[in-house]
Amino acid sequence: MKRLFAAVLVGSLALTASCKDFLDVNTNPNAPQAASANLYLPPMLHWWVSSPQWDGRFVGRYTQNYILVSSSPTTWDRMGYDPGSDNGAMQWRDVYWTFGQNLVNMMTQAEAEERWDVLGVGYLLKGWGWMALSGHHGEIIVKEAIDQSKFYFNYDTEEYAYTETLRLLDKAIENLKRTDGAVNAAYLGKGDKIYAGDRAKWLKAAYGLKAMTLNRFSNKATYKPADVIANVDLSFTSNADDALLPFPATVNDDRNFFGPTRGNMPSYRQTYFIVDLMDGTQFGGAVDPRMSRMLSASPDGVFRGLDPALGTYGALSTAQRPNNIWGYAATPAAGSPTRYIFDDKSRFPAMTYAQMQFVKAEAAYRMGDKATALAAYKNGIGAHIDFVNARNLDASSNATQIPAAEKSAFLADPNVVPATAAGLTLTHIMSQKYIAQWGWGFNETWMDMRRYHYTDIDPASGRQVFPGFVLPTTTMYGDNAGKPVQRVRPRYNSEYVWNLASLKTIGGDATDYHTKPLWITQP
Amino acid sequence: MALMGLVFTAAQAFAQQKTVTGKVTSDVGAPIAGAQIVIKGTRLGVLSDASGDYSIRAEVGQVLQFRFIGNAPEERTVGAADVINVQFRRVATSLDAVVVSALGQTNVKRALGTAQQSVTGAEIAGSNRQNFINALQGRVAGVEVTSTSGVPGASTSITIRGVSSISSSNQPLMIIDGLPLDNKTMITAQLAADAPNSPTAFNNRGLDFTNRAADINPEDIESLVVLKGPEASALYGIDAANGAIVITTKRGKPGTGGFEYSNFFRMDTPGGQPEIQRVYSAINASGSPILGSSTYLYYGVPYAPGTKFYDNVSGFFKTALTQKHSLSFSGAAPDNRINYRIAISADKQEGVVPNTNYNRINLTGATQSVVNSWLKADLTMTYAYATNDQAYKGAGGPLLGLMAWPQDDNAADWQTAAGTRRRYSTLSDASENDNPYFSVAKNVINSKTNRILSNIGLTIAPWAWGSLKTNIGVDNYTNSNLILRHPESTYGYSNGGILDINTDLTRNISTQTLLNINSRQIWQGLSISGVVGNAVSDYKSNTDAQQGLGFLDPNFVSVNNTNSRTARTTISQRRLVSVFGSATVDYNKYLYVTVTGRNDWTSTIPEERNSFFYPSINTSFIFSDAFPTVGQYMTGKLRAGYAQVGKDARPYAYMPALEYKLTSYGGYGYSFWGPNRALKPEFAESYEFGTELTFLDDRLGLDVTWYRKETTDQIVNDIRGSYGTGFILFNLNGAKTRNEGTEITVRGTPYLDDKLSWDVVANFDHSFGRVIALPNALPESYNSDTWLYGNVRSGVKPGTSTRSLTGTFYQRNNAGDVLISPTTGLPLRNSVFVDRGYDRQPDLTVGLSNTIRYKKLQVSFLLDIRKGGDILNATDHYLTARGLSMRTLDRNEPRVIKGVIRDGLENTATPTVNNIVVIPAINRDYYVSMSEELFIEKDINWVRLKEVTARYQLPGKWLNARDASFFITGTDLWLETNYTGLDPIVNGNTAALGGAGASGIDYGNFPMPKGLAFGLKVGF
Repeated sequence: MKRLFAAVLVGSLALTASCKDFLDVNTNPNAPQAASANLYLPPMLHWWVSSPQWDGRFVGRYTQNYILVSSSPTTWDRMGYDPGSDNGAMQWRDVYWTFGQNLVNMMTQAEAEERWDVLGVGYLLKGWGWMALSGHHGEIIVKEAIDQSKFYFNYDTEEYAYTETLRLLDKAIENLKRTDGAVNAAYLGKGDKIYAGDRAKWLKAAYGLKAMTLNRFSNKATYKPADVIANVDLSFTSNADDALLPFPATVNDDRNFFGPTRGNMPSYRQTYFIVDLMDGTQFGGAVDPRMSRMLSASPDGVFRGLDPALGTYGALSTAQRPNNIWGYAATPAAGSPTRYIFDDKSRFPAMTYAQMQFVKAEAAYRMGDKATALAAYKNGIGAHIDFVNARNLDASSNATQIPAAEKSAFLADPNVVPATAAGLTLTHIMSQKYIAQWGWGFNETWMDMRRYHYTDIDPASGRQVFPGFVLPTTTMYGDNAGKPVQRVRPRYNSEYVWNLASLKTIGGDATDYHTKPLWITQP
Repeated sequence: MALMGLVFTAAQAFAQQKTVTGKVTSDVGAPIAGAQIVIKGTRLGVLSDASGDYSIRAEVGQVLQFRFIGNAPEERTVGAADVINVQFRRVATSLDAVVVSALGQTNVKRALGTAQQSVTGAEIAGSNRQNFINALQGRVAGVEVTSTSGVPGASTSITIRGVSSISSSNQPLMIIDGLPLDNKTMITAQLAADAPNSPTAFNNRGLDFTNRAADINPEDIESLVVLKGPEASALYGIDAANGAIVITTKRGKPGTGGFEYSNFFRMDTPGGQPEIQRVYSAINASGSPILGSSTYLYYGVPYAPGTKFYDNVSGFFKTALTQKHSLSFSGAAPDNRINYRIAISADKQEGVVPNTNYNRINLTGATQSVVNSWLKADLTMTYAYATNDQAYKGAGGPLLGLMAWPQDDNAADWQTAAGTRRRYSTLSDASENDNPYFSVAKNVINSKTNRILSNIGLTIAPWAWGSLKTNIGVDNYTNSNLILRHPESTYGYSNGGILDINTDLTRNISTQTLLNINSRQIWQGLSISGVVGNAVSDYKSNTDAQQGLGFLDPNFVSVNNTNSRTARTTISQRRLVSVFGSATVDYNKYLYVTVTGRNDWTSTIPEERNSFFYPSINTSFIFSDAFPTVGQYMTGKLRAGYAQVGKDARPYAYMPALEYKLTSYGGYGYSFWGPNRALKPEFAESYEFGTELTFLDDRLGLDVTWYRKETTDQIVNDIRGSYGTGFILFNLNGAKTRNEGTEITVRGTPYLDDKLSWDVVANFDHSFGRVIALPNALPESYNSDTWLYGNVRSGVKPGTSTRSLTGTFYQRNNAGDVLISPTTGLPLRNSVFVDRGYDRQPDLTVGLSNTIRYKKLQVSFLLDIRKGGDILNATDHYLTARGLSMRTLDRNEPRVIKGVIRDGLENTATPTVNNIVVIPAINRDYYVSMSEELFIEKDINWVRLKEVTARYQLPGKWLNARDASFFITGTDLWLETNYTGLDPIVNGNTAALGGAGASGIDYGNFPMPKGLAFGLKVGF
C-alpha cells in the first residue's frame, strides 16, 4: 500500500514539478511565427500589383475606364461611394496589413543579414504604400502606423506622406545600388517573381516611382520637371524592365483578379470616353490599332462605349451592346481565350516603361523642352503597342497581334504624333498616357485627371487635356452637391468604425469628404 | 465516497441482533437497486440488490435509514417484524436528501452553500431524446437549451445563467465520472473550405455538426447535477466559469446479476410549415418571368384561374421513424465488493427531411471492486459510434428552396431524363436555388464519430481520517466529416463540385487526485472536513482536412475524382495544471462554512501571468434546526456565497502567426490576428444568496436564488480596430459584463395518498446580462459568422444586452421618427451598425413539470414556457422580399410610410411629415429594401409541451420480469407562441459559436418535429 501511495504521489508531483515545460505548448504548430526575409515577399508583391486592381473596380469608374452596367447608374459611376462598405479601400488593407508588420519584419531581418537588395525592395514597397494611399485617400496614418500598442491613430498630412515617400525611395535607391554584403539574386528571386531577384531592375523601378512621385507636384511651385526627367532616365529603358506579375492560376487566389475564372468583371463595360480616344473621334479619324486588341467590340463587330451618366445599355440592341473585357456578352466558359491583361494568367503590370515615357513627356513639355517631350511621347506609344502585343501572347487570346506596319503607320499619323515638336500638346500626352494605363494604371490615371481637374483646358490645343471627358453632372451622387470626386474615403471597417474620433479631426465624417480636393492637386 | 465509509456487515452476527429483510421500491412500485440501508448512528450498512431486496442484521430499537440519490431518506425503527418494506417518494425537497456535489462527492443538501439542481438518469432517459442535453430544458432553473434545428444530430447549446462572455463559449463544463467530457461542436474553420480568404468558406453557416456530448447514451446516466454558479464550480477550475454539469454513470447493483432491456419506437412528423401566397405569379404582364438573384420574384400577374398547384412544401417532408434498443447486464457480489455493468444500445433516428438521419451505437462497461479493506478500483469504458446525415439550411438550403419554388410546378420532379438537376429558371446554374429534392439527394453533410472514453479510478483509504482518490481518463475520438456540394448544385456549380473531408483526432487526457479528510470534531459541536486536490489536463485536437474541386464524374464522391486539391492541418493544444483545496466547518449540523481556493496554470496565457489563484466562500445555515420552534412548522436554510473564478484564452491567442498565402507564389504573411503579449486571464466575481424552505412535512418546497456575476478584464476574441496597428483582429482584455438573475424552484405535492399522488415542480428563471465596457472603448464587438442575413448580426455595444442584435436599421431623427427619402418615399437605412435595443434574452422562463401517479400508472408532462426575448425572422424577410409572404397580398394598396422626410428639417420642431404614396406592387423596393428590423419579432412568448409521458408499471411477475413497464411519450407535440415563424427555438449558425451566437436568428431552419413514441422496459 505504501508503495502504491508513493507511486501516486510521485506521479502527481512529477507532473506538477515539470509544470513549466508541460505548459509550454503555446507555440502555434499550424504556422510559423517568423520566416526568412524573402518568404515575406510573395504576398506583398502580389498585392502591390493586385490591390490597385481591386480598387480599380471603383476608381476605374471615376476615371471612366468602364462603367458597371446596372438598371440605373451605380454609386461609383456617379462619383459617389458605398456607405458602410470597404469598397474602394483595398489598398488601405494591404498597405497596413499585408505590408504592415510583414514589411517591418522583412526589412529588419534583411538589414541585420546585410541583404541590401531585399532591404531596398522593402523601402520601395514602403514608399509606394504611402504614395498610393495618400493619392487615394489624402491624409493617412504614417507616423503612428504599425504600432500594436495603440488603438487610436492620428492622421498625417499629404505633404508629410510625400516627404516620407521620397525619403524611403531614396533609401531604396541607396540600398539597391549596393552589391556588397549578402546581396544575392537567387535569394531575392525566391520571393520575387517580378524581376527574379534582379537588383538592377528594382533599382530602375525605384527611380521610376520617384519620378512619378515628383511629377505629382505639377501644380506646386516646388515642381521640378528636370528632376522628374532625370529620374525617368535612370529608370526603365525598355519594355523588358516592366514590372509585371505572373499568375500561376492554380487556385482562386493566385489568378489574375480580372481573369474570367474569378468572375469579378462580367458586368463592367468600356465607356465611350476610351472608345472615342481610340476610334479616331478625338484624333482626326486615326483609328488606334490597339483598340481592337484592348477593347471589346459589340456582337455586331462595332466598337462602342457606354455613358456613365446613363449607367445602362440605353437604347442599344443586344447586338449593339459592347462585350465585356474578355470579349464576350457573359462570363465565358473556363478556358476560353480572352484578351489583353484580362486572362487568368495574363501578367499584370505595376509600372511600365511606356508609362515612364509619358511621365517624362509631360515633365519635358511643362519644362518647355518639347523635342524631348515628343521623343518620349513617341517612345511611350510605340512601347505600349509592343506591350499590347506581348500581353496578348501571355495567355490564349482572342485578339490578333499588331503587325509592325500597322504600328509604324499609326506612329506616323500626324493626328496622333505631331510632325514637329511644336505641334505636341498636353492633350496628346495625357490622352495617350490614359490609353497606355487603361485597365490597370488606376492610381496614376486618377491622379493625372485630378491634377488637371478632370476637365482642364490645354491652352495649346484649346481642348480638354482629357478630350471628351464629361463629368456625370446630371447623375452626380447626392452627397457630392455637384462636386466631382477627389478622394476615396478611408476604409470603413478600419476608420469609420474604429478610429472615428481621429477621422473627425480631418473632417472625414463629412458627407462630402470624398469631394474635398487633395493637397497635392492644389497650387 | 459515502460508501467507502461503510463497513459491510454480511458476516457479522451478535446475540441481540435479528435479520431484517425487505424490499425497497420506487413510488410506482419498481424495485430500487443500490439504495443504502444504514443503521442510524453507526457506519454499518448494506445496499439493496437488483430486485430491491435487502437483508441486514440489526437490534430491535435501532433505526434503519434508507437513502437513495434524489429521494428523501426514509427511517424505520426495527421492531418485532422481520420484514420492513420501504417505498420511496421521488421528491427531493428534504434537506437530508442525498445529492452529488462538486468533485463527484455525495453530500446531504443541508451542507451545500451554493445553488445546484439534479436531474435523475430516469428522467433523462425517459425523455427519449437522442441528445441528452435536450432533456434538460425546463428541468433546471437557469438552464437554457437551444437546439440549432429539428434535423437529427443538430447541435444543441446549453447555457447556465445566461450569456456573460462576449466572444468565448458560454457553455458549462461537462464532467463525467469526475473527469472532463469534450462537448465540442466542430467549427468550419477546420475545413480546407474555410482556409483564409477562401471563396468556398462556410463560416459556420448553412450546415451543422453534432455537439459531442451527444455521444453519451442517456441510458448510461445515473444522475446529473447542474452546478450553476462559479461558486459551485470553483473546484472545477477555469473551464467551469460558466457552471458545470456533473454526470455520474450507472454502476452494477448488488444482488444476483440480471439484465434489463428497454426500447422505444417513435414517429416524427413535421413541426409546421409556413404559409405562402398563391395569388400572384412570377410572370409579368408581357409573359416573361420576373427573376431575382436566386429565384423568381412573385410580383407578377395573378395566377390564371384553374392553375394546378402542387403542395411542394408539405409533400417534401415525411413521417420519420426512430427506434432505440438498450440492453444491459449488471450485478454485484452480495457484499458489493465487486460490481459490474455492461450495456449496449442502438439508436436509429430518421429525420422528417428526406435523407437525414442519426444512428448511434454505444457500448459501455463499468466495474468497481473493493480489493481489500483500504483499496477500491473503478473502471469505466465507453465506446460510441455515431453517424449523422444532415441537410443544408439557411441561404440556398432546402427549406427556402421549397418555398421559393413555383407552386405551379412539381418540385418533386427534380431530375431530367438524363438524371441531372432539372432547372426551372433562366438564372445560371450557380444562382438558381437548388431544388430541395435535388439538394437532399445530391448534396451531402455526413459526420462519423468513433469515440472511446475511459476512466480509471483508485481509492485508497488506509486511514480513518480520510482517503485518497485518483482518476485518470482519456477522452479520445475521431470525427470524420464529408461535405459535398454537388457539381450540379448552386453551391458547387462554379467550382465543378466541392468536396470537403476532414478528420479531427481529439485526445484529451485528464487526471485528478483528491485527498479527502473526513469530518472530525474539533470542539463541542464543531467539526471540520476538507479536500485537497490536484488536476492535470492535456487537450489536443489534430484535424487533417482536404478539399477537392472540379469533379470528373459528377456523382462519384471521392477526392480522387477531383482535379484541384488543397489540404490543411489544424492542431490545437491546451494544457492545464491545478491545485485546489476546500475546507468545511460545520457547527451542530446547522451551520456550515466552506472555503475553497484554487490555483491554475494554463498554457494559453503568457508565462509571466499564467498562474492565477481564486478563492470562494459559502455558507449554509439551517435556521429551522437552529431554532427548533421554527422547525416545528417548516425546514429552512439560508445560503450565501462569494466566489472568484479565472478564465484563460484560447490557444495561440497572444502571439501572431504567419500563414501560408495562396496568392501568387505563396510565401508567408501574418494572419488577421495581431499580437497581445499583455494578455492576462479574465476574472469573474460573483455573489449568490438563496434560501431553501419546505413546509407541510416536505409537501411544499421553495428554493430561491439571487446572483450577480461581474466579469472584468474579459478577453474579447476577434475584435477589430484601426488597421493602423498593422493587423485586423485582436484578442484583447478589457471587456466588462454583468449578469444578474433570480432562480426559483417550487416543488409541491398537492395531493398524496396510497393510490394517488400529484407532484408539481416549477422552475422559474429571470436573468439579464449587460455589457458594461469593451476593450479600449471600442464601439462594437460582433461575431461575423452571425451576419448571415441582410445587415443584422449578433453584436454588442457598451450598455447593450450581451445578447443584442445590431444592424443597419432605419435612420431616425432625434424624436425617433423614421427618415424617409424625399425621392422614393421609402425609409433610409443607416450605413453603420446601430443598436436599437433588440435583445434575445427572455424576461422569464418557466419549466413546469407535473407527475400524477395512480396505483401503477404514472403520467407526467413538462411544459417549457418563455416570456419575452426577441427573434429575427429572416425567413419571413426572405419570403417578403420575394413577394411570397402572405403580408404581400395587399401589394396593390397605396400607402404612406409613417415618418418624416430627410430634407434638412428632420431634426427641427417642424419636420416634413412624409406624404409620398407608395404602391408596393409598382415599387417593389418597398418589400425588397425593408429593414430586417421590421422582422425582429419583439417579446416572443411560448408555451411548449416538451414532453408528455404515460408509464404503466406492469403488475406482478409479468413475463417473469422483476420489473416491467410500458410507456408512451410525446415530444414537442404542442406549441403556442406569438412568434409568426415556424419555431422560435433556432440557431442561425451552430452551437460552436462563442458569445450569444446566432440563437434567435431564424433563417431557413427546420423546426423541431413532433414525436410520438412508445416503448417497453423490462428487467430480469
